[in-house]
Amino acid sequence: MELHHQIQQQAEQVIFLRKRRKIILGSGTLIFLLISAWCINATVIQDTDWQRMGSFADMLRSIGRYIGIDFSLFSQLLEPALETLLIAFLGTSIGVLFCLPVIWFGARNITPVGNASYLVARLMMTISRSVHEIVWALFFVAVVGLGAMGGIFAVAFRSVGFIAKMSAEAIENIDSRPVEAIQATGAGTFQVLRFAILPQVLPQIISVIMFEWEINIRRSAVLGLVGAGGLGLVFFRQMNTFNYHGVTSVIIMILGIILLGEMASHAIRRRLL
Amino acid sequence: MPILSVQELQTRYTDNGPDILKGITFEVEKDDFFAIIGPSGAGKSTLIRCINRLVEPTSGTIIFIEREITKLSKSQLRRARRDIGMIFQEFNLINRMGVMDNVLSGRLGYTGNLRTLFRSFRRSDIDQALFLLEKVELSDHVHKRVDELSGGQRQRVGIARALMQNPKMLLLDEPTSALDPKISRDIMRLVKNMAEEFGVPCLCNIHDVALATEFCNKIIGLKEGVTMFSGPTEQLDRNKLNAIYAMEEL
Repeated sequence: MELHHQIQQQAEQVIFLRKRRKIILGSGTLIFLLISAWCINATVIQDTDWQRMGSFADMLRSIGRYIGIDFSLFSQLLEPALETLLIAFLGTSIGVLFCLPVIWFGARNITPVGNASYLVARLMMTISRSVHEIVWALFFVAVVGLGAMGGIFAVAFRSVGFIAKMSAEAIENIDSRPVEAIQATGAGTFQVLRFAILPQVLPQIISVIMFEWEINIRRSAVLGLVGAGGLGLVFFRQMNTFNYHGVTSVIIMILGIILLGEMASHAIRRRLL
Repeated sequence: MPILSVQELQTRYTDNGPDILKGITFEVEKDDFFAIIGPSGAGKSTLIRCINRLVEPTSGTIIFIEREITKLSKSQLRRARRDIGMIFQEFNLINRMGVMDNVLSGRLGYTGNLRTLFRSFRRSDIDQALFLLEKVELSDHVHKRVDELSGGQRQRVGIARALMQNPKMLLLDEPTSALDPKISRDIMRLVKNMAEEFGVPCLCNIHDVALATEFCNKIIGLKEGVTMFSGPTEQLDRNKLNAIYAMEEL
């Protein structure tokens, strides 16, 4: 009798919990659908120039304009393509220089003045990553004027976050035993960094830098859109002069150098790790 | 005058934590091979790390050749550490570096930051490193990376690194625990020979009582941070061992 009663009670509890789950799930779905409907209305229905889009056939015709390659353009693309690669290279290198103090401050186990320096470094990493490269480029173009220099600084500042974060985390995860051994010889802080910590993390850090360089090729390819040099600038010009086949040529060129960078970075990273 | 004199040493890791060492006192003389024995958790590693302040003692005094270790400033401590070579259970070598760089790192206390940055050690240091590698029978492995070596060979690199400091005392933290019994004996013999040849006293953590009695002339036995025995090896008998290892006998 006692047992029966207990089971009854448990059953009611189970049914209550299952009902509650269904209600939560149902209202969650409803909220999701409402937000979606609101978004579609606000961004797609009201914000699209339906007049200009025209019929489905018009749309196909718009896409069709891009089919075809302007081969005459390629000879003029080599220099901007090289410039894009150089922006990525210099930007990444300068970014690495900026990274050094950020890594030092941002790894909990080596940060010089405890929480304060750690938080400063983490803040810098976050700022670097949360500002988009186009925004960095707009900022630096305003500072140093049109041309590759703005792009280089944009890439450098945008790179600090990722490289520093990954490197600092690598340092936080080192084996502390060699550190102890080097300290025991009477070595100072810098010597411990150089002998016990750097050898442990260097391959990882170089791998991260290569990866970031590869991403930076992609970034510097579009930075020209805001006047920061490289292929993006040519892309922008082709668009403005309605040379749609030229646009396709630039896209192919961008794809080409990105693939090149990816292969190079992959080959180097595979040898490292 | 003893090389090292430890008086009433106490340590705890956190302010309100338990005492790991509850007042340890002993002295190491010029020609001692001094063993610290005891079950795991007795505080052996902590004790040996207090000597060069890899672990900060809470109270008590450590006098090492007329220097009060516990009162030294950071730079004074670094200078004192140069005189104390240390050999570790897991060797604690830098795996991505070669045998030479690992041995040379024993000279870091005498090397400037610029030289450290470029790993350009003095010619005399390189000569000494090669001499010591010859002594520990690793002359054939000079150009290898340490991760290519066997456990016994790695510990020999560790010994050479410690001797590179021209130490006035050696600290050994379970130098043989990661090695098989035969290699363990070889390593202990090597350390003892080197210590005698260079006139360096040794303070050695070791849980293997047989090795301790074979190689060491004095022994201190710890249990839960308390001294259970202290004296010459000959005085350590069955009863005293039982007191130290009581928990393990049960």
